Amino acid sequence: MGRSEDPVLQARVVGASGELADAIRLALVADGVRLVDAPSHQRADGIDVLIFVASDARIGPIATTSAEDFSAHVGGSLSEAFNALQTGVASIRASEGGGSVVLVAPPAGSHRAFDTLRQGLRLMTKAAALELGPEHIRVNVVLPGGAETPLGRPCTPVEVAHAVAFAASARSVFMTGADLVVDGGVLAL
Amino acid sequence: MRERLKDRVVIVTGATKGIGRETAKRLAREGARLVCTGRDAADGASVVAEIEVEGGRAIFVPHDVASEADWRMVVARAEAELGGVYAVVNNAGAFLVKPLAETTEADFQFSYNVNVHGAYLGVKLGFEAIARAGAPGAIVNVSSLMGQVGFPGAIAYCTTKGAVTGLTKTAAIEGAAMRPSVRVNSLHPGVIWTPMITDQFGDDPALAEAFANDTPLRMIGLPEYMAEAILYLISDEAALVTGIELTVDGGRGAD
Repeated sequence: MGRSEDPVLQARVVGASGELADAIRLALVADGVRLVDAPSHQRADGIDVLIFVASDARIGPIATTSAEDFSAHVGGSLSEAFNALQTGVASIRASEGGGSVVLVAPPAGSHRAFDTLRQGLRLMTKAAALELGPEHIRVNVVLPGGAETPLGRPCTPVEVAHAVAFAASARSVFMTGADLVVDGGVLAL
Repeated sequence: MRERLKDRVVIVTGATKGIGRETAKRLAREGARLVCTGRDAADGASVVAEIEVEGGRAIFVPHDVASEADWRMVVARAEAELGGVYAVVNNAGAFLVKPLAETTEADFQFSYNVNVHGAYLGVKLGFEAIARAGAPGAIVNVSSLMGQVGFPGAIAYCTTKGAVTGLTKTAAIEGAAMRPSVRVNSLHPGVIWTPMITDQFGDDPALAEAFANDTPLRMIGLPEYMAEAILYLISDEAALVTGIELTVDGGRGAD
Protein backbone atom coordinates (compact mmCIF):
# COMPACT_ATOMS: atom_id res chain seq x y z
CA MET A 1 0.00 0.00 0.00
CA GLY A 2 1.32 3.42 -0.67
CA ARG A 3 -0.14 4.64 2.58
CA SER A 4 2.10 3.22 5.22
CA GLU A 5 1.65 6.36 7.31
CA ASP A 6 -2.09 5.65 7.45
CA PRO A 7 -2.78 2.20 8.87
CA VAL A 8 -6.53 2.41 8.28
CA LEU A 9 -7.30 1.22 4.78
CA GLN A 10 -10.78 1.46 3.36
CA ALA A 11 -11.96 -1.58 1.46
CA ARG A 12 -14.98 -2.43 -0.58
CA VAL A 13 -16.02 -6.06 -1.07
CA VAL A 14 -17.95 -6.64 -4.29
CA GLY A 15 -19.68 -9.75 -5.55
CA ALA A 16 -19.25 -12.01 -2.53
CA SER A 17 -22.20 -13.36 -0.63
CA GLY A 18 -22.90 -15.59 2.32
CA GLU A 19 -20.16 -17.36 4.23
CA LEU A 20 -17.34 -16.20 1.92
CA ALA A 21 -18.34 -12.54 2.19
CA ASP A 22 -18.52 -12.80 5.98
CA ALA A 23 -15.13 -14.52 6.15
CA ILE A 24 -13.48 -11.93 3.90
CA ARG A 25 -14.90 -9.06 5.91
CA LEU A 26 -13.71 -10.59 9.20
CA ALA A 27 -10.20 -11.24 7.83
CA LEU A 28 -9.91 -7.69 6.51
CA VAL A 29 -11.05 -6.20 9.80
CA ALA A 30 -8.51 -8.39 11.64
CA ASP A 31 -5.83 -6.83 9.43
CA GLY A 32 -6.93 -3.33 10.41
CA VAL A 33 -8.93 -2.60 7.26
CA ARG A 34 -12.13 -0.56 7.49
CA LEU A 35 -15.00 -1.63 5.25
CA VAL A 36 -16.84 0.84 3.08
CA ASP A 37 -20.48 0.03 2.41
CA ALA A 38 -21.40 2.77 -0.04
CA PRO A 39 -20.65 2.09 -3.72
CA SER A 40 -17.05 3.09 -4.24
CA HIS A 41 -17.67 5.51 -7.11
CA GLN A 42 -19.95 7.63 -4.94
CA ARG A 43 -17.16 8.43 -2.51
CA ALA A 44 -15.23 11.55 -3.28
CA ASP A 45 -12.27 10.44 -1.16
CA GLY A 46 -12.09 7.01 -2.74
CA ILE A 47 -11.14 3.60 -1.40
CA ASP A 48 -7.77 1.90 -0.88
CA VAL A 49 -8.76 -1.69 -1.53
CA LEU A 50 -11.20 -3.40 -3.88
CA ILE A 51 -12.04 -7.06 -3.39
CA PHE A 52 -13.99 -8.50 -6.31
CA VAL A 53 -15.31 -12.04 -6.08
CA ALA A 54 -16.08 -13.27 -9.60
CA SER A 55 -19.37 -15.03 -10.10
CA ASP A 56 -19.30 -18.77 -10.27
CA ALA A 57 -19.89 -19.91 -13.82
CA ARG A 58 -20.21 -23.67 -13.99
CA ILE A 59 -19.86 -24.98 -17.48
CA GLY A 60 -19.63 -28.57 -18.59
CA PRO A 61 -17.54 -30.37 -21.17
CA ILE A 62 -16.67 -28.47 -24.34
CA ALA A 63 -18.60 -30.94 -26.50
CA THR A 64 -21.90 -30.31 -24.75
CA THR A 65 -21.66 -26.63 -23.73
CA SER A 66 -23.46 -24.25 -26.06
CA ALA A 67 -21.69 -21.16 -27.35
CA GLU A 68 -24.46 -19.09 -25.76
CA ASP A 69 -23.86 -20.63 -22.34
CA PHE A 70 -20.10 -20.22 -22.67
CA SER A 71 -20.47 -16.57 -23.62
CA ALA A 72 -23.01 -15.85 -20.89
CA HIS A 73 -21.04 -17.57 -18.12
CA VAL A 74 -17.37 -17.11 -18.98
CA GLY A 75 -17.72 -13.87 -20.96
CA GLY A 76 -20.25 -12.50 -18.48
CA SER A 77 -18.09 -13.21 -15.45
CA LEU A 78 -14.96 -11.73 -17.09
CA SER A 79 -16.93 -8.61 -18.07
CA GLU A 80 -18.16 -8.18 -14.51
CA ALA A 81 -14.58 -8.43 -13.27
CA PHE A 82 -13.43 -5.89 -15.85
CA ASN A 83 -16.16 -3.44 -14.86
CA ALA A 84 -15.35 -3.85 -11.17
CA LEU A 85 -11.65 -3.35 -11.86
CA GLN A 86 -12.29 -0.14 -13.82
CA THR A 87 -14.66 1.28 -11.23
CA GLY A 88 -12.46 0.24 -8.33
CA VAL A 89 -9.30 1.66 -9.86
CA ALA A 90 -11.04 5.00 -10.48
CA SER A 91 -11.97 5.11 -6.81
CA ILE A 92 -8.48 4.07 -5.67
CA ARG A 93 -7.00 6.84 -7.82
CA ALA A 94 -9.31 9.33 -6.06
CA SER A 95 -7.90 8.18 -2.70
CA GLU A 96 -4.31 8.97 -3.77
CA GLY A 97 -1.29 7.05 -2.56
CA GLY A 98 -1.96 3.79 -4.36
CA GLY A 99 -3.97 0.80 -3.27
CA SER A 100 -4.76 -2.82 -3.86
CA VAL A 101 -7.18 -4.83 -5.97
CA VAL A 102 -7.82 -8.49 -5.25
CA LEU A 103 -9.75 -10.56 -7.77
CA VAL A 104 -11.09 -13.82 -6.40
CA ALA A 105 -11.72 -16.53 -8.98
CA PRO A 106 -14.47 -19.10 -8.53
CA PRO A 107 -13.32 -22.45 -7.12
CA ALA A 108 -11.84 -24.87 -9.64
CA GLY A 109 -14.56 -26.87 -11.33
CA SER A 110 -14.80 -30.48 -12.37
CA HIS A 111 -14.47 -29.59 -16.07
CA ARG A 112 -11.22 -28.12 -17.32
CA ALA A 113 -13.09 -25.94 -19.85
CA PHE A 114 -14.06 -23.90 -16.83
CA ASP A 115 -10.38 -22.98 -16.41
CA THR A 116 -10.91 -20.56 -19.29
CA LEU A 117 -12.54 -18.21 -16.81
CA ARG A 118 -9.89 -18.68 -14.12
CA GLN A 119 -7.03 -18.22 -16.55
CA GLY A 120 -8.78 -15.16 -17.99
CA LEU A 121 -8.91 -13.63 -14.52
CA ARG A 122 -5.21 -14.49 -13.99
CA LEU A 123 -4.12 -12.73 -17.15
CA MET A 124 -6.44 -9.77 -16.51
CA THR A 125 -4.67 -9.50 -13.15
CA LYS A 126 -1.20 -9.53 -14.70
CA ALA A 127 -2.13 -6.97 -17.38
CA ALA A 128 -3.65 -4.66 -14.78
CA ALA A 129 -0.65 -5.14 -12.46
CA LEU A 130 1.76 -4.02 -15.19
CA GLU A 131 -0.43 -1.08 -16.22
CA LEU A 132 -1.16 0.16 -12.70
CA GLY A 133 2.14 -0.67 -10.97
CA PRO A 134 3.71 2.75 -11.56
CA GLU A 135 0.77 4.31 -9.66
CA HIS A 136 1.36 1.80 -6.89
CA ILE A 137 -1.98 0.15 -7.41
CA ARG A 138 -1.34 -3.53 -6.83
CA VAL A 139 -3.49 -6.23 -8.48
CA ASN A 140 -3.43 -9.88 -7.44
CA VAL A 141 -5.70 -12.89 -7.89
CA VAL A 142 -6.79 -15.56 -5.41
CA LEU A 143 -7.43 -18.97 -6.98
CA PRO A 144 -9.36 -21.34 -4.69
CA GLY A 145 -9.20 -25.05 -5.41
CA GLY A 146 -12.05 -27.48 -5.88
CA ALA A 147 -13.56 -30.20 -3.74
CA GLU A 148 -10.79 -32.80 -4.06
CA THR A 149 -7.25 -31.95 -3.01
CA PRO A 150 -4.10 -33.88 -2.06
CA LEU A 151 -4.54 -32.55 1.49
CA GLY A 152 -7.86 -34.39 1.59
CA ARG A 153 -10.36 -31.57 1.92
CA PRO A 154 -11.61 -28.52 0.00
CA CYS A 155 -10.58 -25.06 1.16
CA THR A 156 -12.88 -23.24 3.51
CA PRO A 157 -14.20 -19.68 3.01
CA VAL A 158 -11.94 -18.63 5.91
CA GLU A 159 -8.84 -19.92 4.10
CA VAL A 160 -9.82 -18.00 0.96
CA ALA A 161 -10.35 -14.94 3.15
CA HIS A 162 -6.86 -15.21 4.69
CA ALA A 163 -5.31 -15.16 1.21
CA VAL A 164 -7.50 -12.18 0.29
CA ALA A 165 -6.46 -10.31 3.43
CA PHE A 166 -2.77 -10.98 2.75
CA ALA A 167 -3.07 -9.63 -0.82
CA ALA A 168 -5.20 -6.66 0.25
CA SER A 169 -3.11 -5.42 3.14
CA ALA A 170 0.30 -3.78 3.48
CA ARG A 171 1.68 -7.23 4.37
CA SER A 172 2.12 -7.79 0.62
CA VAL A 173 3.31 -4.30 -0.35
CA PHE A 174 5.80 -5.66 -2.94
CA MET A 175 3.42 -8.23 -4.47
CA THR A 176 1.55 -7.51 -7.69
CA GLY A 177 0.45 -9.63 -10.62
CA ALA A 178 0.73 -12.70 -8.40
CA ASP A 179 -1.40 -15.83 -8.12
CA LEU A 180 -2.45 -16.80 -4.61
CA VAL A 181 -3.44 -20.41 -5.00
CA VAL A 182 -5.36 -22.07 -2.15
CA ASP A 183 -5.94 -25.56 -3.50
CA GLY A 184 -4.37 -28.15 -1.22
CA GLY A 185 -1.70 -28.99 -3.79
CA VAL A 186 -3.82 -29.64 -6.92
CA LEU A 187 -1.68 -27.44 -9.16
CA ALA A 188 1.49 -29.16 -7.97
CA LEU A 189 0.23 -32.43 -9.50
CA MET B 1 0.69 -8.75 19.23
CA ARG B 2 -0.81 -11.60 17.24
CA GLU B 3 1.13 -14.76 17.94
CA ARG B 4 0.46 -16.85 14.90
CA LEU B 5 3.40 -19.20 15.63
CA LYS B 6 3.36 -19.31 19.41
CA ASP B 7 6.02 -21.70 20.76
CA ARG B 8 6.50 -23.40 17.40
CA VAL B 9 10.08 -24.31 16.46
CA VAL B 10 11.20 -22.99 13.07
CA ILE B 11 14.58 -23.56 11.41
CA VAL B 12 15.66 -20.72 9.10
CA THR B 13 18.80 -21.34 7.04
CA GLY B 14 20.94 -18.42 5.97
CA ALA B 15 19.46 -16.46 8.87
CA THR B 16 22.58 -14.36 9.38
CA LYS B 17 21.85 -11.89 6.57
CA GLY B 18 19.23 -10.54 4.19
CA ILE B 19 15.91 -12.31 3.77
CA GLY B 20 16.75 -15.06 6.27
CA ARG B 21 17.68 -12.59 9.00
CA GLU B 22 14.48 -10.52 8.61
CA THR B 23 12.42 -13.70 8.41
CA ALA B 24 13.88 -15.07 11.65
CA LYS B 25 13.12 -11.78 13.43
CA ARG B 26 9.59 -11.56 11.97
CA LEU B 27 8.69 -15.14 12.90
CA ALA B 28 10.08 -14.62 16.42
CA ARG B 29 7.70 -11.66 16.82
CA GLU B 30 4.87 -14.13 16.14
CA GLY B 31 6.01 -16.28 19.04
CA ALA B 32 8.11 -18.82 17.12
CA ARG B 33 11.27 -20.30 18.65
CA LEU B 34 13.98 -19.78 16.10
CA VAL B 35 16.87 -21.95 15.02
CA CYS B 36 18.97 -19.50 13.02
CA THR B 37 21.61 -21.19 10.90
CA GLY B 38 24.43 -19.93 8.74
CA ARG B 39 28.16 -19.78 8.19
CA ASP B 40 28.98 -16.51 10.00
CA ALA B 41 28.99 -17.02 13.77
CA ALA B 42 29.29 -13.30 14.58
CA ASP B 43 26.24 -12.44 12.45
CA GLY B 44 24.48 -15.46 13.95
CA ALA B 45 25.12 -14.22 17.48
CA SER B 46 23.84 -10.76 16.58
CA VAL B 47 20.55 -11.99 15.08
CA VAL B 48 19.96 -14.14 18.17
CA ALA B 49 20.69 -11.11 20.36
CA GLU B 50 18.25 -8.96 18.38
CA ILE B 51 15.53 -11.59 18.78
CA GLU B 52 16.22 -11.95 22.51
CA VAL B 53 16.10 -8.15 23.04
CA GLU B 54 12.55 -8.23 21.69
CA GLY B 55 11.67 -11.01 24.13
CA GLY B 56 11.92 -13.84 21.63
CA ARG B 57 13.73 -17.14 21.83
CA ALA B 58 16.45 -18.19 19.39
CA ILE B 59 19.67 -20.18 19.02
CA PHE B 60 22.36 -20.01 16.34
CA VAL B 61 23.80 -23.19 14.84
CA PRO B 62 26.73 -23.07 12.37
CA HIS B 63 25.59 -24.68 9.16
CA ASP B 64 26.81 -25.59 5.71
CA VAL B 65 23.47 -26.49 4.10
CA ALA B 66 25.15 -28.87 1.63
CA SER B 67 26.38 -31.04 4.53
CA GLU B 68 24.06 -33.76 5.81
CA ALA B 69 26.09 -34.01 9.02
CA ASP B 70 25.54 -30.30 9.63
CA TRP B 71 21.81 -30.68 8.97
CA ARG B 72 21.64 -33.54 11.50
CA MET B 73 23.35 -31.31 14.06
CA VAL B 74 20.91 -28.44 13.35
CA VAL B 75 17.88 -30.69 13.82
CA ALA B 76 19.33 -32.38 16.92
CA ARG B 77 20.03 -29.05 18.59
CA ALA B 78 16.58 -27.74 17.64
CA GLU B 79 14.90 -30.76 19.22
CA ALA B 80 17.13 -30.80 22.29
CA GLU B 81 17.10 -27.08 23.05
CA LEU B 82 13.79 -25.76 21.69
CA GLY B 83 11.48 -28.73 21.03
CA GLY B 84 9.92 -30.64 18.12
CA VAL B 85 10.27 -28.94 14.75
CA TYR B 86 7.22 -27.28 13.17
CA ALA B 87 8.75 -25.67 10.09
CA VAL B 88 11.87 -25.27 7.98
CA VAL B 89 12.62 -22.21 5.83
CA ASN B 90 15.21 -23.25 3.24
CA ASN B 91 16.50 -19.77 2.58
CA ALA B 92 20.29 -20.11 2.24
CA GLY B 93 21.33 -19.54 -1.34
CA ALA B 94 24.30 -18.80 -3.58
CA PHE B 95 23.89 -16.11 -6.24
CA LEU B 96 26.11 -16.08 -9.28
CA VAL B 97 26.03 -13.80 -12.31
CA LYS B 98 28.09 -15.32 -15.10
CA PRO B 99 27.24 -16.14 -18.68
CA LEU B 100 27.15 -19.79 -19.73
CA ALA B 101 30.47 -19.60 -21.58
CA GLU B 102 32.27 -18.38 -18.45
CA THR B 103 30.53 -20.63 -15.93
CA THR B 104 32.97 -23.33 -14.82
CA GLU B 105 32.01 -26.77 -13.61
CA ALA B 106 33.13 -25.73 -10.15
CA ASP B 107 30.83 -22.65 -10.28
CA PHE B 108 27.92 -24.79 -11.36
CA GLN B 109 28.60 -27.48 -8.78
CA PHE B 110 28.82 -24.91 -5.98
CA SER B 111 25.46 -23.35 -7.01
CA TYR B 112 23.96 -26.82 -7.13
CA ASN B 113 25.37 -27.81 -3.74
CA VAL B 114 23.98 -24.79 -1.92
CA ASN B 115 20.74 -24.11 -3.80
CA VAL B 116 19.53 -27.62 -4.65
CA HIS B 117 21.35 -30.11 -2.43
CA GLY B 118 20.87 -27.81 0.57
CA ALA B 119 17.12 -27.53 -0.06
CA TYR B 120 16.83 -31.28 -0.71
CA LEU B 121 18.46 -32.05 2.63
CA GLY B 122 16.30 -29.44 4.35
CA VAL B 123 13.11 -30.97 2.98
CA LYS B 124 14.20 -34.56 3.66
CA LEU B 125 15.41 -34.02 7.21
CA GLY B 126 12.61 -31.51 7.77
CA PHE B 127 10.02 -34.18 6.92
CA GLU B 128 11.67 -36.58 9.38
CA ALA B 129 11.83 -33.97 12.14
CA ILE B 130 8.22 -32.83 11.63
CA ALA B 131 7.07 -36.46 11.68
CA ARG B 132 8.89 -36.96 15.01
CA ALA B 133 7.20 -33.83 16.38
CA GLY B 134 3.87 -35.50 15.53
CA ALA B 135 1.94 -32.43 14.33
CA PRO B 136 1.32 -30.94 10.88
CA GLY B 137 4.22 -28.85 9.66
CA ALA B 138 5.34 -26.55 6.89
CA ILE B 139 8.35 -25.96 4.70
CA VAL B 140 9.12 -22.89 2.60
CA ASN B 141 11.80 -23.08 -0.06
CA VAL B 142 13.11 -19.72 -1.15
CA SER B 143 13.52 -19.99 -4.91
CA SER B 144 13.55 -16.86 -7.08
CA LEU B 145 11.80 -15.15 -9.94
CA MET B 146 14.88 -16.53 -11.71
CA GLY B 147 13.57 -20.01 -10.88
CA GLN B 148 10.48 -19.27 -12.99
CA VAL B 149 11.89 -17.38 -15.99
CA GLY B 150 15.26 -17.23 -17.72
CA PHE B 151 17.78 -14.42 -17.25
CA PRO B 152 20.79 -13.98 -19.51
CA GLY B 153 24.08 -14.30 -17.68
CA ALA B 154 22.79 -16.35 -14.76
CA ILE B 155 22.78 -19.93 -16.01
CA ALA B 156 23.77 -21.60 -12.73
CA TYR B 157 21.40 -19.54 -10.60
CA CYS B 158 18.38 -19.94 -12.91
CA THR B 159 18.98 -23.67 -13.31
CA THR B 160 19.36 -24.37 -9.62
CA LYS B 161 16.48 -22.12 -8.53
CA GLY B 162 14.30 -23.78 -11.19
CA ALA B 163 15.20 -27.11 -9.60
CA VAL B 164 13.98 -25.77 -6.25
CA THR B 165 10.59 -25.08 -7.86
CA GLY B 166 10.32 -28.71 -9.01
CA LEU B 167 11.63 -30.08 -5.72
CA THR B 168 8.93 -28.09 -3.93
CA LYS B 169 6.04 -29.45 -5.98
CA THR B 170 7.09 -33.08 -5.61
CA ALA B 171 7.71 -32.64 -1.90
CA ALA B 172 4.30 -30.96 -1.56
CA ILE B 173 2.52 -33.99 -3.02
CA GLU B 174 4.47 -36.42 -0.82
CA GLY B 175 4.02 -34.16 2.20
CA ALA B 176 0.25 -34.00 1.66
CA ALA B 177 0.10 -37.79 1.91
CA MET B 178 2.04 -37.89 5.19
CA ARG B 179 0.15 -38.13 8.47
CA PRO B 180 0.53 -35.62 10.00
CA SER B 181 0.84 -33.74 6.72
CA VAL B 182 3.58 -31.32 5.76
CA ARG B 183 2.89 -28.38 3.45
CA VAL B 184 5.69 -27.32 1.11
CA ASN B 185 5.66 -24.08 -0.90
CA SER B 186 8.18 -21.99 -2.80
CA LEU B 187 8.67 -18.23 -2.57
CA HIS B 188 9.95 -16.40 -5.64
CA PRO B 189 11.45 -13.03 -4.74
CA GLY B 190 12.26 -10.45 -7.39
CA VAL B 191 15.20 -8.10 -6.85
CA ILE B 192 15.60 -7.74 -3.09
CA TRP B 193 18.17 -5.32 -1.70
CA THR B 194 20.32 -7.68 0.38
CA PRO B 195 24.04 -8.50 0.71
CA MET B 196 23.45 -11.19 -1.95
CA ILE B 197 22.84 -8.37 -4.46
CA THR B 198 25.22 -5.77 -3.07
CA ASP B 199 28.12 -8.26 -2.78
CA GLN B 200 27.71 -8.93 -6.48
CA PHE B 201 27.00 -5.45 -7.82
CA GLY B 202 28.11 -3.05 -5.08
CA ASP B 203 26.05 -1.11 -2.52
CA ASP B 204 25.17 1.73 -4.86
CA PRO B 205 21.96 3.78 -4.35
CA ALA B 206 21.91 4.58 -8.08
CA LEU B 207 21.76 0.86 -8.80
CA ALA B 208 18.88 0.40 -6.36
CA GLU B 209 17.06 3.20 -8.16
CA ALA B 210 17.73 1.58 -11.53
CA PHE B 211 16.29 -1.72 -10.27
CA ALA B 212 13.25 0.17 -8.92
CA ASN B 213 12.65 1.93 -12.24
CA ASP B 214 12.79 -1.44 -13.97
CA THR B 215 10.07 -2.85 -11.67
CA PRO B 216 6.35 -2.23 -12.36
CA LEU B 217 5.76 -1.03 -8.77
CA ARG B 218 8.75 1.33 -9.14
CA MET B 219 10.27 0.20 -5.86
CA ILE B 220 13.15 -1.98 -4.70
CA GLY B 221 12.34 -5.12 -2.76
CA LEU B 222 13.25 -5.32 0.92
CA PRO B 223 13.87 -8.44 3.03
CA GLU B 224 10.97 -7.60 5.35
CA TYR B 225 8.53 -7.98 2.44
CA MET B 226 9.76 -11.54 1.94
CA ALA B 227 9.50 -12.21 5.69
CA GLU B 228 5.77 -11.34 5.57
CA ALA B 229 5.21 -13.71 2.66
CA ILE B 230 7.07 -16.52 4.43
CA LEU B 231 5.02 -15.88 7.57
CA TYR B 232 1.81 -16.21 5.54
CA LEU B 233 3.00 -19.46 3.95
CA ILE B 234 3.99 -21.20 7.19
CA SER B 235 1.13 -19.91 9.35
CA ASP B 236 -2.20 -21.68 9.81
CA GLU B 237 -3.75 -18.99 7.61
CA ALA B 238 -2.32 -21.01 4.72
CA ALA B 239 -3.42 -24.41 6.10
CA LEU B 240 -4.64 -25.49 2.65
CA VAL B 241 -1.81 -23.87 0.71
CA THR B 242 0.73 -26.36 -0.58
CA GLY B 243 2.79 -26.80 -3.74
CA ILE B 244 2.34 -23.18 -4.79
CA GLU B 245 4.80 -20.74 -6.30
CA LEU B 246 4.29 -17.41 -4.52
CA THR B 247 5.92 -14.66 -6.52
CA VAL B 248 6.65 -11.41 -4.67
CA ASP B 249 8.60 -9.37 -7.15
CA GLY B 250 7.05 -5.92 -7.58
CA GLY B 251 5.36 -7.21 -10.74
CA ARG B 252 8.45 -8.06 -12.81
CA GLY B 253 7.26 -11.59 -13.51
CA ALA B 254 3.80 -10.45 -14.66
CA ASP B 255 5.31 -9.31 -17.96
